[in-house]
Amino acid sequence: MAGTPVPAIIVSEQSAVMDLVLTQIFNGLQYGLLLFLAASGLTLVLGIMGIINLSHGSFYMLGAYLSLTLTSLTNDIFLSLALGIPIAFLFGAAIEWLFIRHLYQRDHLQQVLLTFGLILVFNELQRIIWGTFPHSVPIPSYLSGSVKIFGLMSYPIYRIAVAGLCIVLALAMMFVIQRTKIGRMIRAGESNREMVEVLGIDTQLLFRFVFAAGVTLAAAGGIIAAPIDSVYPGIGESVLITSLVVVVIGGIGSVRGAFVGALLIGLADAFGKVFFPQFATGMVYALMAAVLVARPGGLFGRAA
Amino acid sequence: MLSLPRPLVAVLLIVLFVGMLLVPFFGGSYAIKFATRVFVLAIFVVSLDFLIGITGLVSFGHAMFFGLGAYSLYFISPETMAANALFAFPAALLIAGAVAAIIGAICVLTRGFYFIMVTLAFGQMLFSLFHTSRIAGGSDGAYINIKPAISMFGRTLLDFENRFTFYYFCLAALAAVYLLALALTRTPFGRVLQAIRWNEERAGALGFNTYAYKLLSFTFAGAIAGFAGVLFATIDGYVAPDLFGWRQSGIAIMMVVLGGAGTLFGPILGALLYSLIEEVLKTASWVGPIASHWSLALGLLLIGAVLTFPKGIAGLFGRKEGLKVSADQPHITRKVEDARRGQQLEVSGLTRRFDGLVAVDNVSLNLAPNLVHGIIGPNGAGKTTFVNVLSGSMKPTAGNIRLDGENIAGKPAYVIARRGIGRSYQRTNIFLPFTVRENCLIAALARHPSPWRLRSGIFVKQESDAIAHALNVTGLSTRADIRAAHLSHGEQRQLEIAMLIASGARLLILDEPLGGMGPEETGRVMALLRSLAANHTVLLIEHDMDAIFGAADTLTVLVEGRLLAHGKPEEIRRDLAVREAYLGRWGESAS
Repeated sequence: MAGTPVPAIIVSEQSAVMDLVLTQIFNGLQYGLLLFLAASGLTLVLGIMGIINLSHGSFYMLGAYLSLTLTSLTNDIFLSLALGIPIAFLFGAAIEWLFIRHLYQRDHLQQVLLTFGLILVFNELQRIIWGTFPHSVPIPSYLSGSVKIFGLMSYPIYRIAVAGLCIVLALAMMFVIQRTKIGRMIRAGESNREMVEVLGIDTQLLFRFVFAAGVTLAAAGGIIAAPIDSVYPGIGESVLITSLVVVVIGGIGSVRGAFVGALLIGLADAFGKVFFPQFATGMVYALMAAVLVARPGGLFGRAA
Repeated sequence: MLSLPRPLVAVLLIVLFVGMLLVPFFGGSYAIKFATRVFVLAIFVVSLDFLIGITGLVSFGHAMFFGLGAYSLYFISPETMAANALFAFPAALLIAGAVAAIIGAICVLTRGFYFIMVTLAFGQMLFSLFHTSRIAGGSDGAYINIKPAISMFGRTLLDFENRFTFYYFCLAALAAVYLLALALTRTPFGRVLQAIRWNEERAGALGFNTYAYKLLSFTFAGAIAGFAGVLFATIDGYVAPDLFGWRQSGIAIMMVVLGGAGTLFGPILGALLYSLIEEVLKTASWVGPIASHWSLALGLLLIGAVLTFPKGIAGLFGRKEGLKVSADQPHITRKVEDARRGQQLEVSGLTRRFDGLVAVDNVSLNLAPNLVHGIIGPNGAGKTTFVNVLSGSMKPTAGNIRLDGENIAGKPAYVIARRGIGRSYQRTNIFLPFTVRENCLIAALARHPSPWRLRSGIFVKQESDAIAHALNVTGLSTRADIRAAHLSHGEQRQLEIAMLIASGARLLILDEPLGGMGPEETGRVMALLRSLAANHTVLLIEHDMDAIFGAADTLTVLVEGRLLAHGKPEEIRRDLAVREAYLGRWGESAS
């Protein structure tokens, strides 16, 4: 599972438990925010376009490897982000044009099949271009080190910066959805997919934009998370599965649901790793099963 | 509904089977092992197709049962001697089946995409359980030292260390599993599963407990997958957590879709083709540099296959869709229904709220048996909500519904259907891919709706009589072998009535049965409904005022969810309040 490896903190003896809990809350929120970037695109593509996109994790992987290459060129993670976003957007639009648009009239099974094929292709391309060894991406020097929070625990600055960046990107997305014309179409599609078609909206353009935006968000997550985790083959797959879990918990098509679901999963994962290390991954799925039994349409979804 | 494979396909399958019998005489040990692996995977994907293609449950966690079967063998096998397959294989099957029943009980609560995700989640849970813990070697996997053998009374009959023996065992197992699955689709159980796949709501409204059916199917498929898993573990004598993983499930779905979902034989070809392609790409010399990047080529091939052959390999052997018209069958005059009477319905204080809106407001009504009762009212009066509550597709907020004295309010739709209420819907609600006769067959099976029915048995005559009768009185006998999707709109409405007759329901609720019919059809359907009142109680919502005033024995007027008037048609016509509220111009011109 990507996200929260062993917390890099110094534990003082007196407040060890307090420290641990606080640190895990921070780790969980930061991981949850990253997950939200990946899951929001997935939920919109599923809710508005009706496409199950198994290759979504590959775009997170794309981001991670873009981060590796661009940072080695520019020496700065934020320049990499600025360069990576347009690259990912164009890449996403191209994938939609080449493959995804043929799937709108097909059933779920064929969507699963084609996007599974895409995973195989992307994974192999990754191996050809970047090889199979794990790499690490340097944290920029001005963000290295830790700060003390609440006078208790010290927390890595870069992780705080990542959380902040995620919030900025999430706010940018909310701005697009709430304040722009294309956002109005997205909201229309969110509440009723058929309506979008009835209203005569250019669905082709809308779908391409939504897909490319989803790819961009996932890739942006991969770019900024790269200095925290190492970059390795198959990095996208755990992100894909966890994002799908987030989408299901939140309710398909609901951005708000994805946000709540991502934070829930982030916290469950962070605490699970510390308190139930044997079953940390399982806890995420147990949480999802519990939500679905109680609310078969997810927390914010329409009834399935 | 899935029919037996066409002669061409059957011949092809037999040729393939015979060809496989000969492989060990020509192929080397590598070919034998490869083919054995394909057989085992084929058993696995046939069980998955039973879920996906027959029942309509797209499981993305089917490999968890495959893995469970494999690990069962590891736990059962003694360290220093061969496990007895006569015990180990059934045990693996039972373990996988039991776990499938438990996990399925949760998964089957959800539908569509959510079902895909919950099954995936459970698969990943089991994967992580075996991956992170130290059970059976954790992520490294574990070896089964000695392969199982079939032994009896201390004598070894079949030793699976011998790869020839095991090859033929797996081939026979594949043939047996395929034939078993095919035979199951032709039982009442299997037919209802297919009905659920295409229209679960309708199947439930006919009286089938769709949850129980789906759970049984899930359990069966899980048990077979467990059997495949135990065979798979025997091939290499090695188990690893990857067997549970989503890739394994994903690849199985690939094989099903590549071969053609819902055909049962298609996935076998899919497993063969997928394995061959993978093998060629990995090892063949003529692919040259691709071999080191075989999964790239495999991915591209998959994408190409989806875009060009959406129906899979089996689609190439598909039947041409023909419009068959069967000869007019002789009118069957024997009396089908015993002298059953219709049921009495008493509704008291029935209320249904949606958040703020009161769709049905404290309605009390007594409907006498063996009469035609009409419900009229303006759009939005709550007529459809009222019958939805009666038939159980919605729960009442308050009030009682007594059917022959028994309170059925709030019971699930399938329970109410079993008590004798059959309903049709405002929007035609039938099994579109099935023929007219198959639609009626599903309805007739609802007379004995237990999912444990594996034979038509003693009911077969009663059911075929009911089907013939239903087709006859609705005038659909000549159209019996046409797919319901190809019927005209009016005929589809009549098919819905035919299904209700065939189902043996005694209180029929019809929501606008005349919608979209011409005057001639209208006359015929109204005459049919009148004659049905001889042994049914009929309740219908209708907007065709001439028809309903002419045919109904009593009329009930609903306005804004409230009961405005109830009485004989002539009383209603006289009722001024009704005239103002609803009949309007119609009332004036008629007086």
